[in-house]
Order: sequence, then structure tokens, then C-alpha cells
Amino acid sequence: MLGYIIKRAAYMIPTLVLTSILVFALIELPPGDYFESHIAELLASGESVDQQQIEYLRQEYGFDRPPWERYLTWVSGLPFGDFGYSFEHQLPVNEVIGDRLFFTMVVTFFTVIFTWIIAFPIGIYSATHQYSWGDYGLTFLGLIGLATPNFLLALIMMYLANEWFGTSIGGLVDPEYVDQPLSWAKFVSVLEHLWIPVIVIGTSGTAAMIRRVRANLLDELRKPYVTTARAKGVPEFRGLMKYPFRMSLNFFIADIGGILPTIISGAEIVAIVLSLETTGPLLIAALQSQDMYLAGSFLMLLAFLTVIGVLVSDIALAILDPRIRLQGGVSR
Amino acid sequence: MAPGTRGLLEISELKISFDVQGGHVEAVKGVSFSVKPGKVLALVGESGSGKSVIAQAILRILPRNGRIDGGSILFADPKMEGEMVDIAALKSSDRYLNQLRGGRISMVFQEPMTALSPLHTIGNQVEEALTLHHGKTGAEARSETEEILRLVGFPDPVRGYDMYSFELSGGLRQRAVIAMALICNPAMVIADEPTTALDVTVQAQILALMKRLQRKFETAILLITHDLGVVANMADEVVVVYHGKVMEAGSVEDIFRSPRHPYLKALMAAVPHFDMKPGERLVSLRDMGKEPTAAVQEIGQRFATAERGETDRPHLSVRGLRKEFTIRKGSWWRAGEESQLIAVDDVSFDIKHGECLGLVGESGSGKTTVSKLIMRALEASAGQVTMNSGDGDIDILALSGRQLFEFRRKVQMIFQDPFSSLSPRMTVQNILREPYIIHDIGSTKQQTAEIVDLMNLVGLDPRFLNRYPHSFSGGQRQRIGIARALALRPELMICDEPVSALDVSVQAQILNLLNDLRSELGLTSLFISHNLAVVNYVADRIAVMCRGRLVELAPREVLFNKPVHPYTKTLLGSVPYPDLDRLLDFEKMEMTSADDMAEWGASFVASGGGGLRNIDIDDGHWVLANENCDRRELVA
Repeated sequence: MLGYIIKRAAYMIPTLVLTSILVFALIELPPGDYFESHIAELLASGESVDQQQIEYLRQEYGFDRPPWERYLTWVSGLPFGDFGYSFEHQLPVNEVIGDRLFFTMVVTFFTVIFTWIIAFPIGIYSATHQYSWGDYGLTFLGLIGLATPNFLLALIMMYLANEWFGTSIGGLVDPEYVDQPLSWAKFVSVLEHLWIPVIVIGTSGTAAMIRRVRANLLDELRKPYVTTARAKGVPEFRGLMKYPFRMSLNFFIADIGGILPTIISGAEIVAIVLSLETTGPLLIAALQSQDMYLAGSFLMLLAFLTVIGVLVSDIALAILDPRIRLQGGVSR
Repeated sequence: MAPGTRGLLEISELKISFDVQGGHVEAVKGVSFSVKPGKVLALVGESGSGKSVIAQAILRILPRNGRIDGGSILFADPKMEGEMVDIAALKSSDRYLNQLRGGRISMVFQEPMTALSPLHTIGNQVEEALTLHHGKTGAEARSETEEILRLVGFPDPVRGYDMYSFELSGGLRQRAVIAMALICNPAMVIADEPTTALDVTVQAQILALMKRLQRKFETAILLITHDLGVVANMADEVVVVYHGKVMEAGSVEDIFRSPRHPYLKALMAAVPHFDMKPGERLVSLRDMGKEPTAAVQEIGQRFATAERGETDRPHLSVRGLRKEFTIRKGSWWRAGEESQLIAVDDVSFDIKHGECLGLVGESGSGKTTVSKLIMRALEASAGQVTMNSGDGDIDILALSGRQLFEFRRKVQMIFQDPFSSLSPRMTVQNILREPYIIHDIGSTKQQTAEIVDLMNLVGLDPRFLNRYPHSFSGGQRQRIGIARALALRPELMICDEPVSALDVSVQAQILNLLNDLRSELGLTSLFISHNLAVVNYVADRIAVMCRGRLVELAPREVLFNKPVHPYTKTLLGSVPYPDLDRLLDFEKMEMTSADDMAEWGASFVASGGGGLRNIDIDDGHWVLANENCDRRELVA
């Protein structure tokens, strides 16, 4: 097993190298650089431009050198956690991201848990009661969740929370706790704010998840081994959990690979509407202002998480499904 | 039902129906019979007769849209001291049902692959019943489970306990399912087509096993099957069902010695058997297999293979054909050792013009691989295949590009599964037109005319041309598949198990159709099947394959009357006959493994510097044997 993981991890390197080239090329693609858009912005707002300082910065960050040299400088720092410098924030990229990464993870973690808690029981109910009123009703509710635009739901929820509970508008904490060290009061404040994004982001994912749990479980419920279990005298629910449900989990484990990257990039629009201090809005802002090292490092982080996620789900699948673990392949 | 003798299970006037889209289907319309303790009752019928539905009703595991409309299923539960429980009247949530299932009445299923969960070990699944019904867990349960696995013939029960179903052969899987059914020592086992999915020699072993265990535990068996041969060998009593009604019931003697009901007689006449006289036709159950009319014969002549090679030489000649597959063995994370699996090994045979060669073998013997090599669907590792075609000799294995494309017209295939071999998104018209379009033959008008002819030729109404495959029955679909294969006027037709997915009566129709077409069109054909009786009905000569090698080849009557190779003998000896005077010898059968070379005798294995060679026995009859052995010894 260890050998396999090492081998798989080694395969990740060329993938990441290719991705980094692609990311860098894409960010280089639009004409101009951060400084040009910065100057344009300054001029537009009627401020004076210190040409000398700009030139100095340009040189400092190697914008006078060819792109491939800049690429090498940037990429060689990545493995050591040096993601470059964010011009917009005038801070190293790590520091810009670091703060927000924590909040993002909190939001994503609760969202994923929320989705699972809602989607699994409903999906199982819908599958075992296919075409019943319950199935239709729950599916309908789920589809409403899917169809409602997230930003709209976010605005409504924010309004209601403010009206009913007096929760402050936007953000993940009350303004008084911003930049305060973590305390019990701050933690409570985070929880007070957290449920809005969790529900908003969660509802859209839940509907899709319900449908997938239902479809996968329905496929499995028709399999003869389910009848075997019933004929053996296994009580309904226990049999359901042990056999078809377990089988239908495969799709879900394969999904883990997709969940990891959403930890940092998920639900940007909602995050902007709710002005959450998460990473999503940051990425969008970085792309807009051509803050290239910030944007590039972000995308690389996404790529890295995707690759790791796929690795994790592959390993988990092999552990859970003996067919994957034990069967050899035949080549023609 | 004889009054006075109390049954273990008494079913009376049972009615079951299904809610289907736009209606209500009565699947079982008042069936009554009784299973006696410790006896085997066979429920015989074709698919759709309602026999499996009855079994599901007994355990109350009907699909959700099915329900019991009336009648009773009285079960004399041994734990309830003489009281009869009406299973049909119980609520579906009754806890008693879960005690009943697996504890008092258990079930053996048709498909041992899908009946077992691939995610749980064999031991886990077998033991589950023991834990549920007898509350045994841990080491005690494990040792009992291993004991039952040993009893059903697992060579190494301790290892078998921890294996997964996909690591086992079909026969062992079915043994595991039987172990699961027997572990709680139930009063009755329902066996739903327990051997239909198995090879004939494995079938014989499993039947022998079931018979032995049935006697040992004095379990009653409700055997559900369509195979009259299995019935003759297993049953004490027989109930014949057709369209949800009992046609005839009685002891196995009555049923086979003096069948009364026309349906039963027809069913018996529809099964190909070994005592058929040359030229004897199967009598199809439904009125489709009539002799071809003059008009159809006339069409047939137009479709007949026009050009032929020199008929004094074989039409297709296969020499030293070999195919190796590379297998990555070992588990998922260990770098697998690669090994070679020889699927086809030094296979040589000829097919004469207009002849039908039957290729018989069990699953995994390589018979389908041979057909794919001839079709060029797979690339051979070695060997030569020559076709003496109308336009000169063709070295099939050397073809490429344009020539290969042209060659495709000469060989066509009829597939096993009529359901998955037709695209559900194409109308019959489009399915039949496709070959013409691919090979750019004729104008649209000519194509349409040909398609209509094809439909007539295979006995389908041309008015059905605009329908989709789903609106046809299995037999009709197979006719469409045959028509498609005939469209290009092939010289060689490869039939890969064309009737094994069909019911007995439909099987008779299709076999008759294939025979008629062959004689009308003068088709050369390679007929692949695991069913010896079917091959016997259609083939002129028969080749037997075992483990990738051709072990014996002989004209039909010779092979059946004087088989030489031990494998052929076992194969022939394993076929259950629907005849009470020729029962299988279960005691001999159970443990012998047909392809176990150790039991073949020295003459048939390579040893002492002598390799294997095809040895001529008689005119056109040869057998694969040690090149040093004495010819007379083989025949003796």
C-alpha cells in the first residue's frame, strides 16, 4: 500500500508542473500587468502617479525580464511555501491567504456536513419510497433549493437574520470582533453568522446530492444481492445499510476529490454578497487586478488540492471496495 | 393433492398481480400445490409463467409493485407445533417474516455472481444468517460457517471464508449461496433456477451436491426450473405452470411416463434431445415454426451465397491458431507480475462449404475467442486462417485497411443476447439498413426492397419495420439480429450462443429458422454453444474445446456415440436428460472436475517427452492425445 501511495504521489509531480506552466501562461495572456492596471486605476480616480516608484517596483519584481525567467523564480519558490508577493495587498501571498484560509475551511466544513446530514436521509428515503408522495415532495423541495439563485437567498437570509436575531449584516463575525484574538464571545459570534452561508451554499448542493444518492441507491436496490439479504431474514433497515447503501457510497467517495478544491474556491458569489472573509472573493479580486502572484498561487493551490483529493478518493475507494483492491487488469 | 398427507407448505388458490404502467397484470391466477417434508417438488415453466413470482410470494419478497390478491400459503413451521401459519395473510412488517426467511425457508438464486455482495467476504455473508437466526457470533459462528463451507465442497474453507465472491469460480459461488441457504438448517429451500447460469459439468456437480445435502438434512426443496432434464434428475413431484396456471401436476413418474396436458407434451417436443433422427424438426410451442413458404424460399434463393470458392477444398481453414492475453496479476497496490494466459492454443480445424461446425466448450474454454479471431475482432498471436472465398483465397489474419473492410462482408455474426445486441435508439428499418450504408450498397429504394425481403426471410412482418427493438420479444429480436447478419450475404455465419438467452419454445423456433436458412442459403456456419443438445440439433460436425485447446473433433453422430477424449465423455455424461431411465450418476459426478487433467489418464496428457498431437481415430474423427500413445488404446 505504501509503495502504491508513493508511486501515485510521484505521478502528481508532472501533473503539477504542467498545471503551473498553464496557470502562468494564462495569467500572462491578457495584455499588460498589475502595474499598468494600477496606473490606469490611479489616473481614473484623478490621483498622481509616481512613475519612478512604479519603475522601481517593476524592476524589483522582474517585470523587465522575460516571462520564463519570472516563471522559474515563481515556481521554484512554491515547494518551499514562498508564493511570491501580492502587489494589491503589499504583503507576501502567504500572509494574504493565510488569514482567510481558516474561515474558508470553517465555512466549507460546516457546509459539507450540512449537505450530508440533509441529503443522505432524504436520498435514502426517496430511493426506498420511490414515486411516493414523500419522494416527490422532498425532491420538489430539493429542486427549489437548487433553482433559487444563491445570491438572492443570501440577501433574503441576511435580511431575516438581521430582523429577527439582530445579527449584523455581512461578514463572519460582528464588526467589534474583527482583528480581535479568538475568544468565546468571538466564537459565538462566528457561529451566529455561520449558519447563513452554510444554508445558502448548502441548499444548492443538497438538491444535487439528494438526486445522486437516490439514483445510485435505486440502481443498487434492484440488484439480486439485496433480495438475497432479504431472503436471508436480514431486517429491512439493517440490510439496506449493510448492502445497497454501502455499495452506493462509491460514487460519493469518488466525489471527495471534487470537494477538496471547493474548500478554497467554493461559492465566490455568495461570499461576495455576504462579504465573507473567505478566499473566494480574494481570488476574484486578484484576477481582476492582475495581481499575478496572488492569482497564480491561488490557482496552484487549487490544482494541488484537486490532485490530492483524487489521490485520497482513490485510496479510500481501494480500502472500501475489495474489487478495486484485489482484481488485476487484463490487457489486450 | 392427496388428502390426508399433510404438506410442509400448502399453497391454495394463490393469486398474485403486478401494478404496471397503465394497468394491472395477473401473474399468478389461482395456483395450488403442496410441498411435502423432505421431498423435492419441481415447479416447471417458461419465463413469464409466474414460477419465480410464486417463490417470491412464499418468502414475501415480491417486488414492490407486486401483491398477493388471494389464496393462502400455509406453512407448517416446525417451531410452531402443528400449527399452520398463513404466510400470505401476514403483514409485510411482521417480525415473524424475518425469522421465517433464512431460518425456516431459505432460497438459492440463479445468478451466483450477482446474488452475493462483492463488498463482503463469503464468510461474512454466510455467517450472517447464523447470527440473525441463532444468535451465534465470533469464533463459534466462524467455525460453523467453515464447517458448512466444507460440506458444500469448498476445497479450503478456512481460506474461502475470507474470500470475496469475485475471486471464486461460478460453481464455488453457487456452493457459497447453497451454504448460506443451509446454514440454519431450514425446513425448506427454494431453489430458483439454481444451475441455469452454470456450465453443464458444474451443473451436474451442483445438482449432485443439492441432492446429497437434501437427503442428509431431510430438507424439502422447491425447485424452480425450465429445464426438464434437471427436473427428471432431481424431483419427486412436478408441477407444470403456464401463464400463471397449473397445467399438470403429479409424481415425476406420471409426468415423464404419461404426460397428458398438451402444453407439457409440446414443451417436451420443443427441447432438442440426443435421440433425434436426422432431419427431425423441433416442434415449436407456438405456431411460428411452420415450414418456409414458397415465397420465402424464393427470397432465400436470392440471398443465397452467389459465388463460391472451389467446393472440393474447405471453405474456412484454421491452422495453429493461438491467442495469449497478458494478465496483470496481484493486488491493486503491489506491482503486479504479468503473466500470459493462453486463451487459444494451437487450434486447427476446417469448415467445408455449406457445413455447420459446432464448437462446444464450457465458459472460459476459448470458444468465443476463436470466433473473434476469425472475425478479426481480436488479433491472433500466431496461426493462420484462410478463407477459400468466391473471389480467391483470403489470408484473413494478414488483411488490413481496405481489404479488411471488404472482408467484413464475408463474415457476419449472430450474438447471444438479443437485448443488448440491438441499439435501442434505432428502428428495425435503420438497424437493417446500416450494413448497406456502411458498405455503400444500392440506392435507398433497393435497400428498402432488400430490407423487406430480409424481414420476410426471417419470418417477421415487414410492417414492423418502423418499430424500435423494445417492442419485440426476445425471439423476435433474435430474428432481427439474424436478418442484420444476412443483409450483406455473408459466406460465413458465426453464431455465438444464439439461443442460450431464449426460452425453450422460442429456442426451438430460432433453431428451426437457422437450420432452414442454412439449407436455403447454403451458408457455411460456425455454431458456438455450451449446450450439447442444441449443437447436436444444428451441427454437421462438432469440435470440443477445453482450456483453449481443441480436444476432439468428429462428425455429430460419432462424437455422441463414440466419444474418445475423457473430457468429451464427462461433458456428455453431465447432460441431464429429460428421461427417467437415463439419470445422472450423482455419486460419480459430484467431485470430479471435468477439466482436471490428472483424471484424464496418461494417454491424454503431455508427458515423458511426448507432446500432444491430433491423433486420427477414424474418418474425420480425431482426438488430442499424447503422440506416443497407442491408437487402439484410445478407442478401447
